[in-house]
Formats: sequence, structure tokens, C-alpha cells
Amino acid sequence: MRARFLLICFVFFWNNVKVLAQKYELGKVTVAELQEKVHPIDSSAPAAILFKKGKTIFTYNYKTGFSAVHTYEFKIKIYKKEGLKWADQKVQYYVGYQNLNEDLLSFSNAVTYNLENGKIEKTKLENQGTFKRKINEYWNEKGITFPNVKVGSILEYKYVLKSENIVQFPDFDFQFSIPVNYFEYKTQFPEFYIYKALLVGTSTIENTSKIVSGSQSYENEYGQSRNFLYQQIDSFYSGKDIPALKEEPYVNNIENYRGSIKHELERVRMPEQPVKDYTITWEGVASTIFKDDHFGKEINKNSFLLEDVKKILANVQSPKERMNVIFQYVQNKMNWNEKNSYYTDKGVEKAYTDQTGNIAEINFILLNMLKWAGIEANPVLVSTVENGVPVYPTRTGFNYVIVAAEIDEKQVLLDASRKFTSPDILPLNTLNWKGRLIKSDGTSKEIDLVPIKPSKENASITIKLNEDGKINGKVRIQRTDYEAYKFRVQNGNRNQDSYLEKLEQQLGDLKISDYGITNKISNISDPIVETFSFETNNFVESIGGKLYISPMLFYTPSKNPFVQENRQMGIYFGYPKQEKLFVNIDIPEGYTIEILPKPTRLSLEENAISLSLNVLSEGNKIQFIFTKDINNSIFAAEHYNALKTLFQKMLASQNEKIILKKA
Amino acid sequence: MKNLCYALFFLIFTSHSFAQKNNYSILKISDSLKDNANAVLRLDQMDINILSQRSMNIKKQRVITVLNQKGLNEIDGYEYYDKSTYIKSIEAVVYDAFGNEIKKIKRKDFKDQSAASGSTLFSDNRVLFLDYTPITYPFTVAYSSEIETSNTAFIPRWYFIGGYNVSVENCILNVSFPNNLGFKKKEFQFEDFKIKKTVDTDTKLSYEAHNILAQKAEDYSPYPSDLYPKVMMGLEHFHLEGVDGTATTWEAFGKWYGDKILAGTTTLPEETKTKIKALVGNETDLVKKTKIIYDYVQKKSRYVNIAVGIGGWKPMLASDVDRLGYGDCKALSNYTKALLQVVDVPSYNTILYGDRYKSNIQSDFVSMQGNHMILAVPNGNNYIWLECTSQDDPFGYQGTFTDDRDVLVVKPQGGEIVRTTIYEDKGNTQNGKGTYTINENGDFSGNLKIASQGSQYASKSRVETFQPHEKEKHYKDYWGNINNLKLGKITFTNDKENIRFTEDVQIAASNYGVISGNKMIFTVDAFNQNSDNVKRIRNRKNPFQIQRGYLDTDEIEINLPAGFSIEFLPQNYELKGKFGEYKTEIIKNDSNKLTYKRSMFLNKGKYSNKEYDEYRLFMEQVSRNDNAKIILTKN
Repeated sequence: MRARFLLICFVFFWNNVKVLAQKYELGKVTVAELQEKVHPIDSSAPAAILFKKGKTIFTYNYKTGFSAVHTYEFKIKIYKKEGLKWADQKVQYYVGYQNLNEDLLSFSNAVTYNLENGKIEKTKLENQGTFKRKINEYWNEKGITFPNVKVGSILEYKYVLKSENIVQFPDFDFQFSIPVNYFEYKTQFPEFYIYKALLVGTSTIENTSKIVSGSQSYENEYGQSRNFLYQQIDSFYSGKDIPALKEEPYVNNIENYRGSIKHELERVRMPEQPVKDYTITWEGVASTIFKDDHFGKEINKNSFLLEDVKKILANVQSPKERMNVIFQYVQNKMNWNEKNSYYTDKGVEKAYTDQTGNIAEINFILLNMLKWAGIEANPVLVSTVENGVPVYPTRTGFNYVIVAAEIDEKQVLLDASRKFTSPDILPLNTLNWKGRLIKSDGTSKEIDLVPIKPSKENASITIKLNEDGKINGKVRIQRTDYEAYKFRVQNGNRNQDSYLEKLEQQLGDLKISDYGITNKISNISDPIVETFSFETNNFVESIGGKLYISPMLFYTPSKNPFVQENRQMGIYFGYPKQEKLFVNIDIPEGYTIEILPKPTRLSLEENAISLSLNVLSEGNKIQFIFTKDINNSIFAAEHYNALKTLFQKMLASQNEKIILKKA
Repeated sequence: MKNLCYALFFLIFTSHSFAQKNNYSILKISDSLKDNANAVLRLDQMDINILSQRSMNIKKQRVITVLNQKGLNEIDGYEYYDKSTYIKSIEAVVYDAFGNEIKKIKRKDFKDQSAASGSTLFSDNRVLFLDYTPITYPFTVAYSSEIETSNTAFIPRWYFIGGYNVSVENCILNVSFPNNLGFKKKEFQFEDFKIKKTVDTDTKLSYEAHNILAQKAEDYSPYPSDLYPKVMMGLEHFHLEGVDGTATTWEAFGKWYGDKILAGTTTLPEETKTKIKALVGNETDLVKKTKIIYDYVQKKSRYVNIAVGIGGWKPMLASDVDRLGYGDCKALSNYTKALLQVVDVPSYNTILYGDRYKSNIQSDFVSMQGNHMILAVPNGNNYIWLECTSQDDPFGYQGTFTDDRDVLVVKPQGGEIVRTTIYEDKGNTQNGKGTYTINENGDFSGNLKIASQGSQYASKSRVETFQPHEKEKHYKDYWGNINNLKLGKITFTNDKENIRFTEDVQIAASNYGVISGNKMIFTVDAFNQNSDNVKRIRNRKNPFQIQRGYLDTDEIEINLPAGFSIEFLPQNYELKGKFGEYKTEIIKNDSNKLTYKRSMFLNKGKYSNKEYDEYRLFMEQVSRNDNAKIILTKN
């Protein structure tokens, strides 16, 4: 089964679609709208966007060339007190350009409408309600807060964003945490700029495009008025009744699902100039990134590393060993400054001396050193979970870079920026979508990042039961791959006392002794093994001369992780996982088995998930075996109910008791 | 290994003589200071130099050895600034484990950012902060800064120990001040710590402390600021954003605040006055008049956090709030006061600490304190307290944010310290009444009416404002003990007059009864399981406190499935102790009908560290008994 977590809909109507009779303009508030008490479709909505209109056009100036002007208009209705927060609006805009002028943003037409004694009362926003602040060197923010807002009010406002950045446009989002009754977005692009429009989400929207003639008048350097004509591509997008998007658990990134129109510059074809390609294919994206000095040069600027490579590889022969030594060396030496990027910032050389750097710097150091060591290694572009899943080839579709090394004709993925990663074990947020591997000639190919091999957690427990319900047991837990990685990230730097204190509580007030752990922070490619003995009065109840045992002990799940009734978004597990639990029980003398839990086997979607529970008994011993395999990292929303039912059925079986009676 | 270490140390020691001068090597830290510590403050020094009523200079030096990643937060390398506070210098030097300098961070390398948090709409405060990526642990940062401010109303409090899991090797506070400004100080919780007062004259004050061990956080503890030593300082003659002030007594302070800051802020347009008078009409009863006004404010206005004006202390004009319909706590309190004035009801601005954790205004230390404002309306010998930022709170209700604490009531003739409403433990009730039925497959269906009063009203009534998906989540968490829970009809009755919130909820769940062979097992107490998880803490050091007590009572009818007989019924149970009382009872009405009664009463109180285990056992017994199960056998 393939997860379909993005639905791209292209509905092109090349004929003109008649715009509906209803007018979507500011200033046309009606008494009926103000009187409306609840949203007609979603009665729980605290507020609704009656319409959102956007327009992107171009203006020309002889000095700076074309710039984009984005205009947005909103009309918002407040139904409940909880919706009042929509009366505070903030917009951030970029001011950190190196070669361009700062973006400009201005609010206007902000009005609150109320119904007072059957009459419409307008209150305009004054200066007092507008705010501006500098967030940091890259971003500014402007905000407004509407006057006189109550339950029932309608708010209108407009803002205009002027930007010389015509490579990246702000996304036109049309889905929010409240319903949107209507939206439209108009774009007018001069023929010189070819943009690709991409639509995200599951909503049906309408779209028309046509070629018309456009013109610009401007003042030349001598102050003379000039005019020029060109062809222009006009597009119009609109949609109705977009439902609210609500947060849900087990979601990788809500932005992967939000209804939105995005634009990416594909090509620039100025008159009498060669056509300049920006992005067309992922291959093209990779090649553009590769050609940038902060990428291409930095993966070949490496002579300063040679000495150190020689030093650390003095006695190391096999390629695999060489890779491991270099990986650990870079991992230990370098420290991540928590900045993601596939471009270097201060450069690999400076980063190396500082011992700190961003993702590109650290992984390029690794890459360069591997190359010196004679290992075939290439950069792999990645989009982290936070960056989402791009729907079209774009440079912003990636935000991260790792390294693929070739060892014995097998590909190994490496990220040296964190302390507990190892070959083929990457930070969890990089297990997203596909990576793109770029070869030294600039060509590239798509590769899988999510592992096929499941990460395992195997526990085996042997317990001795006393007549009063006390249990003495011994446990061995083995964790491999990502399960081991997760454990190390959470507990690697914790001291043993505080870890055990936490563990005792988590496992239901046990007394733990003889604790041992191997490979906690050493040999991090190897599994972690924990062993301990425990004593507890829980998990067995002695009632009326009988013993009721929860055979899964502290592994007994008490809750179905899926409680929601409905699901909008896909269910994200991250990586394939396998859990196994063996419990061996010694029956106390004088007791015999009255009831054993029934063996169960459940599965979903051709074993994408399978669960099984089995119980065997022989003499005075009972063996209980539980396994759970999750073979996909993500499941589509339409499988939610099946998944929920599966876990519910298994939960009932897992909670069945073993009952022992006096012989 | 040890030898190698020494050899290395020696090598560096001899080649870099400055390392010796600073003594920042981690080898110098005694083992006891490393116990439980993520960071060791080698030096924490502040030099406060009050030059005049309108000028204060503060120098900070912090030398912190960060032992691991969790200790990073202890560096505290930041300074706030605004119109009246100027950062003269700020810098940091980083040393490796042996005390060798590895990096110098100059002012321009500090990050400059707006200090407003997400909930604040606007603030002109900014912050310069240190953004350093450690290359190895442990390491040491020597941070120093100097700021200058004209605000002498707030002299920083001095904490000898800043928080948990950090130890302090040397701690020094030096203050100098002119002898005519009425400098004063108050010391707190010095008892168990060796703190030396080295100088205490009419122009100088100094303290020193050495080798304070790292403390561990423990559940149910008072805030660290109520546990560990601190010094509060203030001036009788101070300055705040262009206004000189005096605070010798609360009366004087209150009068100053009223005259200089609040005066002239309560004027309203005539139109509004007329409207309000019409609204109140002929009503003469003080409480009823106040209620009408409070209701008007709740419907008209909303809370917006705007931190501008005199250090955030001067409220927006009432006429602006009237026009705009929004404001922060001061603006809305002041606006309500202005409206009350129109109908001749006097009321007073009240300054306090708003927090679930009860914090007092230090009544014996006259100074600028508090973080929140409400309104006090005198009613006979008592006050009606109005929380003006809430659009939902019942009239006069204080919930858990402003209850039971000392506050400053600013009257025209001067300020006065008053205690706010105390909600008695026995009045913080939750009363559950309902039934449930188990069928032969173990499926559950039932309904429950829960009425909550007193401080429990505050935590329950907010459910009414939830969106459907939040509501679903809330109940599925609340009844996390019932798997596969399905919610049916939910009805709320919010009786604001009597401050009682009632939830009427229908629920169903499959497989509530676990079937093993011919037996069915399920927990009797389905609706109200004790959720207080009291952790085992070895060698607890801190005292603990229960801030608010409560009384829960439940009476549930249980219908058992036909065709089963009872194999086992839990015994009636009773537990009494200093922490509270707990009692459960099961009455067998006929062959398949039971009545389950439960009551749980918890006292509020302050207890010593020694009593913690007793409390844990008390709660554990409650939880254990809440989990008692019925066993049925198929006939």
C-alpha cells in the first residue's frame, strides 16, 4: 500500500467560468451576515473566513526591474468568544536580503462591523491598533488589533506586500483552523517569468488561465515617462466551503495537508537574453544547488583535511573501517549549531577550525574526508519532517544535506551532525519522503531514506510467582537500529540513578536491582541490551484464592493510541518497527491453570501491520509470546478506522488474564 | 589515565600561564559541587551601584562551568533593554576544561531580538543574548555585562541559588547607594545556608556565600523562590519612567500610584456615561449595580496583551478602552472602575501576583511588586473581586489564579494589604451521579452528571469553551481508564449565579469487561479514578504542599449482565488520616444491580519532607482501591 498523503488537484477549465452572483468585496456587510449566530455548515466554528481574496501583479522600475505586489483581502465573522483571537492579526515579512531592498508591508481598510439596535455600526482601525516590530535581522512583523470586537462582529482588512523577490512568493493558504466560505486568487505574470503553480490539499478548486496583453509605464533615468507592452498570463483560482483543518496526533507535518497554492519560478526569458532555467525537474533543482558556490565548491575545497585524514587512517585498511573511523572522528570533533541548510554559511574550512557548523558544513567535512580516504561519497539533499513534503520540484523543497558513501557496492547513509547517529541511522526528522543524491558530475538520482529493515525491540522476561501475588523477575531488553537511537537520544546523557528512578515509575512502581546496560553510548552501531531484576506487587491479583495475572506485565497497554472518531490526515509512524515480548512464568506450587488467554492473530493491509499473541503451557511453566510488526512508516487517513479497530481488538486480547487456581 | 590527565594538565598549565590566573580548570571543582549538578557557578557576582534616584548601574559577572547539555540554560547570557535601560557592555569568554581560552564573544556577536513572547501583541522590550554552540563538555563561560537604567523602582532580587541542578562555588552581591534614598532590604530563607553579610552600612551592603550544593527538583515543592535564600531590595525614593516616586509605607505607595500613575485615566465620554446610567436605571443595590457593569464589560471587551507605557504600569485611558473594546489587565480593570464611578460605586485597583501557585505581595516590604491587576469593590467589611480580563468568569469568582493570597488594594487615601477569597477545601466539590450497564460481551454504556463547585469550577467550566475535537480529547483523557470510549450526548449547565458547572455526559465503550474464559473482570469505579500520581522520591529534602483541597463524592448505579453471577465483590473500604478521608461502599440491591458510593476528601496543607512518604502511601492506597475489580462467572 502506498500512502497518499498529498492530493494534488489540477482542474483546468480553459473556458471562462462564470463568477457566481455573490459579490466578494470589502465594505459590503449585510445585516443578515451580522445576525448570523452559527456557521451554516460547521456549527462548532468559533469564527469563519467569509472570503479571502489574493492578487499578485508585477510593477516595473528601471532601476530594480520587476517587483511583485501581493494584495490580500479578508472578511472574517466571529461566532464565539473563542473566535475573538482572529481580531489580532500578525504578518511577518522578510528584510534580510543581501542584494534586494527590504519587503514592504502595509495594512489598510481595517474595519469592525457590529449590529447596534438593528443598525450596522462601523468602527475603523486607528493608528493605536497597529504595531510593528523587528523580530531579528531577517524578519519584521506588523500587526493589527481590531477595535470594538464582540461575538457577532464582522472584521475586514487588507494588506499589501511589495517585494523585489520574484523567485519566491508567499504561499497562498486557503485552509485554516476555521472554515473558509470562499477564496480566490488572481495572478498576472508577464511573459518573461514562467511560474509553476502547485496546489496542495484535498479540496476541489477551480482554475482558469488565459493569455492577454499587458503593459507597464515607468519613468526612465531621465524622468521621462515610458511604456512597454508584453504578453501576460492571467490565472484565476477559486474555491468554496473549505473545511477547517484540525490538529491531530501522529501527524508528521500539518502543512503537508493544508490547502494552499504555491508558486515557484521556473524560467526567466528576458527579451534578447538567453533563457535562464530555475527549476523544472528535481534533476534541475539538484543541478542548480550543485552549481552554487556554497555547495559545489565546498565539497571540493578540501586540501586542509588531507593531513588529518592521513593521521587518523594510519593503520586502517578496509573501506568500511575507514568510513567508520572518519565518521566517528567528524561526529566527535564537530558540533552542530542547530541550523539546517544544504548550503555552507561560514564555509567548511572555518567550520573545521571552529569545530562548529551548520548541517552542510559538518556533512561536507565528512564527505571531503571520505573522498580523501578513497571512498566514493556523494551529498544527498533531504527535506526534513518540519520542511514537509514538497509537491513540485523547488529549491525550498530541500533544507538539509547528508552523505551517501559506497562501501562494497552498497550505499550507506551518514549524518555526522548528531552525537548518537551511526552509519545508516539518521536523525528521525530526516526520515521524510525521498532524498536526492548528487554525483560529482552534477547529475542526480532519487533515493529512499526511510529504512526497509525494521528496528526492533525484543524483551524477554522470566518471572517467579508467589502465592501472595508478589513477582520476582529477570528482564532482558534488546533494542536495535532506530529503537536504539531513540533510547540513546533520550537516555544517553542521563545518569543511571535518575534513569532508574524514571524507569521504576514508568514500569508501574517496580523495585529494580542488578541493572546492567551494554552499548549505551559506545559501539553505537550495535544494539543496546538492558538487563535487570525486579520485584513488584502489581500485575497479579490474589482474589478469593485465585491468582489473576496480566501476562504482559508492565508491557500491558492500557490505552488504544487512536481515540479520535474521525481522521483528516495520514497516520505517521516514522520507520518500520518490530516488537517481540516473551514472558516465561513459573507457576507456584499447589496451583494449576484455570484459564489461559486465547491466541490471537490480526493483520491489516497485506501485513502492513500484524499483531499476534500466543500462549503455551507445559507442566508448571507458561510461555506467553506477543509480536507486533509495523512495516510502513505512514498510513493514509482512509485506513484510520481499520487501524483503530485493529488496535482495539488487540488491546482486549492483551488485557486477558491468566487465572490460576489452587490444585 | 590519571597520570596522563595530570601530564596533559601540566603541559597546558605551563604553556599558557593565563589559565593559571583564572583558575577556570574543572579540576578545581570539588566533587560535592558536581553532585546532581548540570552546571557549576564558579562565580555569580552582581554589583549594583545606585548613583541617584534616577540612575542605577548594574554589573554582572557569571563564570559558569557547564558540565553537560542540560546545564546550557544556566549560562543566562542575556540582557533586556528598552527606552530607559541601556546596555553599556556585554561580552563572554569561553574556556575549555583546562581553563584555556577558546573563544571570545563580543557584543556584536550577541543576537538582538524582540523580547515579546507569542501571546503579547506588542512590546518594545528587546533582548541581547549569547548564542554559543559548545564544542565539548565540560566548558566554562565567563560572562560579564553592565547596564544602566533610570528605573530605580525595580532593584533586581538576588537569589543565592538560581534553580535546580546547579551548584554555586562563589556568590557575591555588592550594593552601594546614597544614604538619603531610603534603601531597604529583606532577607528570606537564610537559615540552612551559610550566607555571610560582609558589609551593612548606610551606603553599602554586601553578601557572600560559598559552596552551595546543587538542589534537586521534587514534586509538590514550593517554588524555588520560596525555598532558597534570597534578598529583596528597594528604595523609598525611586524613579519609574519619568516619574519620581515615594514608598515609605503602603499608604504612601498607594497614594503615589493613585496620584501619579492612575490619575486622569478614568475619564469617559458623556455618551457612554448616559448609556451606563440608563443601563443601571433605578437599581440602588450595590451588588446588583456592580453586576450589571461587570456583565457589560465582559460582553464588550477582550483581553489583549500590550506592554507599553510606564514600564507597563500605566493603564490605557478608559476612554480608549471604551472606544476600542480591548485592553490588558490594567486597562480593563481601570475601565471597569471608571464605569462603576458613573453609577457611584467606588472600586480600587488591586495589584497582585496572578498564578495558580499562590504568591503573596510581601506585605512587610513596601515596593513595586506583582504581575497582574484586578478590581476590588468594597461591600460592607468585605470586597467583591472582579477579574476584568475574563469574559467567562462568574461575577466575583476568583478561581485558582487570584485566590487566597495577599494583594495590594490601592485606595485614594493609600494602599492596603488584603487577603483575597479563600475557597474552603470542603467547598471545592465535585459531585458525580450516574449509572452504567455492562452487557454479556463486556460492553459498557452509561451516563454521568458531574457538578463542580468552588475551585473545581475553574478547571471544569473551561470545557464548555472547547471545540468538538478538543472536547473529545478532554473526555478521552479524563476517562483514560475506559478504553474504546465513545462519547454520546454532552450537555453543560453553567450556573454562574451559584458558581456551579454541571456536565451531563453519555458514554459507551466496548470490551470494558475483560473476558477470560467464562469469567468477566472489570473495575467498579469507572467514572472517577484518582489521577494524582505521587512519585516515590528517595530521601526527599524539600517540604511539600497541597495548595487546594477538594471533596469528591460519587454515587453510581451499576447494572450487571444477565446470565452471570458474582464471583467476587470488592470489600467496603475506609481510609482516614491527616491528609484526608477516603471511603468506598458497594451495596447489592438485587442479583444484578449494585450501588457504588465513593467519597474522597483531601486537605490543603504544608508538610515536612518526612511526611511525603506517608502521603504517597495514602494516595497509593486510594489508587489501589479505585482499581478494585468485580469478577463475574457465566452461569
